[in-house]
Amino acid sequence: MGRISPERVLARNNVSVLGAADAPAMVFAHGFGCDQSMWRFVWPAFADRYRIVLFDHVGMGGSDAGAFDDRRYATLDGYAADVLEILEALDLRDVVFVGHSVSAMIGVLAAGEEPERFARLVLVGPSARYIDDEGYVGGFGREDVEELLASLESNYLGWSSAMAPAIMGNADRPELGEELTNSFCRADPRIAAHFARATFLGDNRADLRRVRTPVLVLQCSEDVIAPREAGEYVHEHLADSRFVLMAATGHCPNLSAPEETVAAIEDFLAG
Amino acid sequence: MTVPEGLLQESAEELFEDAPCGYLSTRMDGTIVRVNRTFEAWTGLRREDLVGRRRFQDLLTVGGRIYHETHVAPLLAMQGSIREIAVEVLRADGSRLPALVNAVVRRDEHGTPQVVRTTVFDATDRRRYEQELLRGRERERDIAVELQRSLLSGALPERPGLEIGLTYRPSERGLQVGGDWYDAFPLGADDAEVGLVVGDVVGRGIGAAATMGQPRSAVRALAATGLAPGALLEALDGFARRHEVGELATVVHARVDGSTGRLRYACAGHPPPVLAEPGRPARHLEGGRSLPLDAPIDMLRRPEAECVLEPGAVLILYTDGLVERADRPLDRGMEELLRALERLRELPAMELTDALARELAPPGERDDDVCVLALRRAPC
Repeated sequence: MGRISPERVLARNNVSVLGAADAPAMVFAHGFGCDQSMWRFVWPAFADRYRIVLFDHVGMGGSDAGAFDDRRYATLDGYAADVLEILEALDLRDVVFVGHSVSAMIGVLAAGEEPERFARLVLVGPSARYIDDEGYVGGFGREDVEELLASLESNYLGWSSAMAPAIMGNADRPELGEELTNSFCRADPRIAAHFARATFLGDNRADLRRVRTPVLVLQCSEDVIAPREAGEYVHEHLADSRFVLMAATGHCPNLSAPEETVAAIEDFLAG
Repeated sequence: MTVPEGLLQESAEELFEDAPCGYLSTRMDGTIVRVNRTFEAWTGLRREDLVGRRRFQDLLTVGGRIYHETHVAPLLAMQGSIREIAVEVLRADGSRLPALVNAVVRRDEHGTPQVVRTTVFDATDRRRYEQELLRGRERERDIAVELQRSLLSGALPERPGLEIGLTYRPSERGLQVGGDWYDAFPLGADDAEVGLVVGDVVGRGIGAAATMGQPRSAVRALAATGLAPGALLEALDGFARRHEVGELATVVHARVDGSTGRLRYACAGHPPPVLAEPGRPARHLEGGRSLPLDAPIDMLRRPEAECVLEPGAVLILYTDGLVERADRPLDRGMEELLRALERLRELPAMELTDALARELAPPGERDDDVCVLALRRAPC
């Protein structure tokens, strides 16, 4: 198969480009669960000085779910390849990549592969491996992941195959308003389960040392998804990393504490 | 209408405490600030152990907790409410309460979120019923796959000078198998010929699996009477109409003489066979085409075409599942089949059909049945 065209990449990942034209680019990558709207309270703070790139992982949000390929997305490498394709399609280099949750590791993989495209990485709530291992705290057991998959199955969040075309066809998310309840976090349950497996069963610890890009690790207090030990592990195994423990609790400071998140990123970018 | 005295005395406090659902108020981070008596009674958890001490998500199973953090909390922050979220609440004794949860965020006059109000409904029976439905769906699929397998069983014929390969894969996306079928059988005087047929009946699931057995038996019986492919399909039209099976089903039928290489074929609404001859690009056989079976047209003529398979030539019959995919237009799939066949043509027939199926309709993403039948005339 030939190389995929830039237009196809931008449509596939529902890429939006906002903010200052001809400025350095900031790319925001959402984690497992929802879509690019997870960044709605954060990106506007940078839009005056940066070109803002938002996108949805394939199978989530307004992406083209028809492009989902079980083999490509069996591990995070497929998602990282998508990120690199997006950067190539927009001809971007030296970007600030902000990755939340699993997208932190997706950024690590992409920056390890093509370092010249990345100036800085901001990893929000990263974990290189979610399942405990000898001498390593990930926070979860394998059986917990099975339970999550069961939870996904009983929570289709209004998904039905009849609804899929309407949801997938709508790139302009905000206007949908309340009509499509849960639309930010709606996904084909089969794809969501596949993404959950790639996320929670992966082990990307060995990929950390490939990264030479300066990194900011943003760790929340009391994060049940990415415990402090996991964040510290990431920080300690990166060549050039700064660790910030946030006052924000939970796993989504981009939503629960956007001011603190913005301030920490600003501080890192200024330094 | 008068309201009985007792009802008028029902206080807001009682309505809250003894409501027929569990009530919780939490801070945005999930910390419980208030909980009602019903929730205490359902879970065996006591308010003094909950208020100010536990977060709502701490009361869920680990899977539910991950789900809460990755879906529920973001939705509450973005849309201010969630509805009908299925969770399991861990009771004090360690058992699980299957529950449906609704929640709304209450904001102050500046729009700053203050508190999350959550209602918890006991969904024990509903969850059991849902699980039965899911199991039933899986069972139906298992039956259809089994039926399909038993109807399609039977050894491939062995003819000197001809090598036959077959790959059949039921669809895996969704829960229903399709109606693809195939057959290969000896024909003619001294069994010098081989009859090949690949078809696709309309519909999915158990019905389709059961239906396809009928045209399949009919083709065998008609072919044994010596009917040429075009005439056979005309007779099959009549069969389909009389027995109300196979309306708009598609089928391709070929007969090949092992000693001379003579190939006769006819194609009713089915994707065209593909031929790969040594030293030449692979191509579609576009002859002998007509409408699907029992199309609503009287006295439909079924043309047939013929050519000679050179030694070493490979003929491929297949169903649309091989070339048609949601993310790939049909003509591109047909083109990819030609290119793949040119690369893989030297493989033994059985490996060839496997490789074609794997390449064109990879495992994990087949949303239709895939059937590939290959026949190679031995090289001289």
